[in-house]
Amino acid sequence: MKILSAISILALSVTIANAAPDRVVTVKTTVNGMVCSFCAQGILAHFKKHPAVSNVYVDLTRKLVLLEERQGKSITDEEITDSIKRSGFEAVKVERLEGSFEQAKAD
Amino acid sequence: MKILTISILIATSVATAAAHPVAFEGAYQLMFGTVGSVQTFELYRSYSPRAAFGLHAMRFDGDEDEYFAGIQHNWLLNRWNFPSAQANVYAGLGAGLAGETGNGVSPAGIGFFRADYETRRIYTALDAKWVESLVVSRGIFSASVGIAPYKAEFEQLNTWLIIQVEHVTGMEDPIEIIPKVRFFKGPYFIELGSTLRGKPVVNFMIHF
Repeated sequence: MKILSAISILALSVTIANAAPDRVVTVKTTVNGMVCSFCAQGILAHFKKHPAVSNVYVDLTRKLVLLEERQGKSITDEEITDSIKRSGFEAVKVERLEGSFEQAKAD
Repeated sequence: MKILTISILIATSVATAAAHPVAFEGAYQLMFGTVGSVQTFELYRSYSPRAAFGLHAMRFDGDEDEYFAGIQHNWLLNRWNFPSAQANVYAGLGAGLAGETGNGVSPAGIGFFRADYETRRIYTALDAKWVESLVVSRGIFSASVGIAPYKAEFEQLNTWLIIQVEHVTGMEDPIEIIPKVRFFKGPYFIELGSTLRGKPVVNFMIHF
């Protein structure tokens, strides 16, 4: 019985592990210097080109850039920080959210 | 058609007040307009977030029209990214040809310095630009202060009310006071105004 339970837990773990990369993740980045939408167009331009990003939202009031990852793909924190820098700004914090992209926009 | 459009833009173009010398990496920025007696056309490619290279043409509408056309390199010398503000210091150097109507052309140099500070409600900028050649010697100095009547979000139309004071050396009207309104949305930017002497001010800029 114990062996059967162990096998079941192992099988479940493998299933969850395999499913994790397919989860759509929302990434929230806090950005300094983002005070002008005309100047922040580079953020949109850079992230729209990234193959792992399906949606970009810039929030000047909350000083945030929200990214929605494509299912099964991922953008690294370093790539985010670098893209923000190449757009002329400074990323100060990158967080992976549990909620959806639309929920993060509405928060 | 594109060549015709660009030619018209050059022919009607102007001023430096809206100058955005370096944009985001990989961007082209096209700027043209007219402020008082000075028309400017600029096209740059930002090959890094701190440097851009491109073309710069100017026309000074005086007793005799004067022209400059050349290439220019711009540097973002420093940027301070604060949580709710940004400040920048830029400089640029270029070389080309300058001339005066009926008086030929000669090699010329151009240089500029710019400092600005901006929040979502306040805008300030100082600009200085020089063009020097055997026949053309001009300096353009300006200071601008602006306020935004509302805090526009990223996808909204942004509106700014700006007062600019500009001095162009050697011109008939040495100091111009220019109230103007600035709008931008997405990659499009336009300024409309007039000097207190009634000369139109129009500046246009786009990133692509």
